[in-house]
Amino acid sequence: MSTQNATGGLAFPVESVERTELRGGQFQAFYGLLARELIKTFRNPFVIVITLVQPFMWLAFFGGLLSQLPTGELDTFLLHAPPGTSYLSFLLPGVLSTGMLSIGMFGSMSTIQDKRFGFMKRILITPTSKATVYLAKAIGSAVRGLVQIPVMLVAGIAFGVHLQGTPLMWAAWILGLVFLGTGFSAFFLAVTASSTDWQTPGVVSNFITMPLMFASGAMFPSSIYPGWMKDIAAVNPVGYSAQLSRSVLTYGQFTGSDLTYLGYLALFAFVMILAGTVVAAKYLKAE
Amino acid sequence: MADDAILAHGLTKNYGKLVAVDHVEMAVPRGSRFGLLGPNGAGKTTIIKMLTGLAPITEGTASVAGYDVARDPMNVKKRVGWVAAEVILDDDLSGWENLWLQAQLQRLSDWKGRAQQLLEYFELADRKKDKVGTYSTGMRKKMEIALALLHQPEVIFMDEPTIGLDPNVRRMLWGLITGVNREFDVTILLTSHYIEEADALCDRVAIIDHGKFVATGTPAELKSRVKADFVELETSEAVTEERLAAIAGVSNVRSQGNTWILRVSSAEEVLPRLFHALKTDGIRRINVEKPSLESVFIDITGKRLDQGSGDVQDYRKFYMNLRRARQ
Repeated sequence: MSTQNATGGLAFPVESVERTELRGGQFQAFYGLLARELIKTFRNPFVIVITLVQPFMWLAFFGGLLSQLPTGELDTFLLHAPPGTSYLSFLLPGVLSTGMLSIGMFGSMSTIQDKRFGFMKRILITPTSKATVYLAKAIGSAVRGLVQIPVMLVAGIAFGVHLQGTPLMWAAWILGLVFLGTGFSAFFLAVTASSTDWQTPGVVSNFITMPLMFASGAMFPSSIYPGWMKDIAAVNPVGYSAQLSRSVLTYGQFTGSDLTYLGYLALFAFVMILAGTVVAAKYLKAE
Repeated sequence: MADDAILAHGLTKNYGKLVAVDHVEMAVPRGSRFGLLGPNGAGKTTIIKMLTGLAPITEGTASVAGYDVARDPMNVKKRVGWVAAEVILDDDLSGWENLWLQAQLQRLSDWKGRAQQLLEYFELADRKKDKVGTYSTGMRKKMEIALALLHQPEVIFMDEPTIGLDPNVRRMLWGLITGVNREFDVTILLTSHYIEEADALCDRVAIIDHGKFVATGTPAELKSRVKADFVELETSEAVTEERLAAIAGVSNVRSQGNTWILRVSSAEEVLPRLFHALKTDGIRRINVEKPSLESVFIDITGKRLDQGSGDVQDYRKFYMNLRRARQ
């Protein structure tokens, strides 16, 4: 198309554009927003370095300290573990699971930043639905958080953890972590959908991380828990993910109950995404 | 009407008890440049938010590019572009990536040729790989207009397009805005609180105050309405309203403290009499307003446009109310 100048002079020729009006029109917007999140995250070298270093520090400090416990104590502590299991190999699957708790914080912060700088208005003045924006943020946040899985594994191996399990079992526990991360990311973003306050993500993160981390069996065997904490652990998806991961990585097995755990995690992710989408479509604010 | 790019009837927006936009009637012909002129907080931005589907309409109806804003917002959003007052771009992405994202959000398939041509049109092509955070203010503004044009919109909303820009960049943008309107065959609705801007850019202007359209017309029509000059006068305390009103040729006197606004038949004739009458008292400052959009605003609302809603206090209160109401 070349547009005609009103004065009859030489107009500037500019091509016209085609619209992709496929059924999944929202999908293209989703893809664009998701790619934007990831580009912005991983273009920052500081973020990459910290992401890589942090798991090493975790294992070095926490694991290093606890491995100094007398061997006898450790054996009672790590019930049913095969002989020679170190606390680190018990801890690693747990830390991977608790790491998913605050995974939504990145997406939540970037959502609030978009509202504060007005970018959310730019997005919402295009035919992009609030649900699409929400899903892109939630999935982007989950993907970003899931990067810690390979990093953690490498860190674990570097600290002498012997990882068990077959490739199929690995696929199962990683899938479990993906469900867990997606579920918490979806939950986090839905809770903070209407917020424009920088402080909110941090506060929410602290609020959910502490109880769910300790009442999960991720860091200590749940057999030592008092009754009320066992009740929380019974519905806590972090615990199920930790047990599933530990089953595979530490003990090299995948039992029927592990399959139930995987199913529970899938259900958790599904329900959170569904509920979050409904909440965000109503409450996500432009500014 | 198919010939109107924007049509609004009884358009109203309430934030709680606060009426931000009050029963506005509006018809903007296709291809024209329409200006909303008014002080900050008059409701200009709220009108844009309603017309773009960002804020729900409290009462009344509006259609943009032939689609009802409330019933069919997605079809409206495919056909409008938006240029923000505060220049909103993703500073971490390059110019090209910003265009890419806009193309995804607008679901375009074959956009690269047009994007490149827009970059050339706005003289940004050689910087397209740089992060837009490194662009100058003028370049960022151009980039925003390029984004607004990428999906071939029928209407572009420009909210205070030159606010806070230095005079050179402002002139450059005025040229660009009229050029874009002509060459891209797009209707432009812009808001401004700069008299000269509305006068220079708009085919038609609506003057808005406290959420109401107080006058609508071409700049020439509006100016011809006011068959009077205004004299703004700052005096010592001894001067009274009666003394000013007694001067021949003064038809109306309004005061704000020691500042007076006199409506006079002809400033040239009244000024000598004014000096004579007040010669023993101090005249601290005097300003003559010949017929202009400013004098139209003074005539209707009794205050200058660039003073906002009279005094600053008022103004803050309005914003505070607005913010509270939104929470």
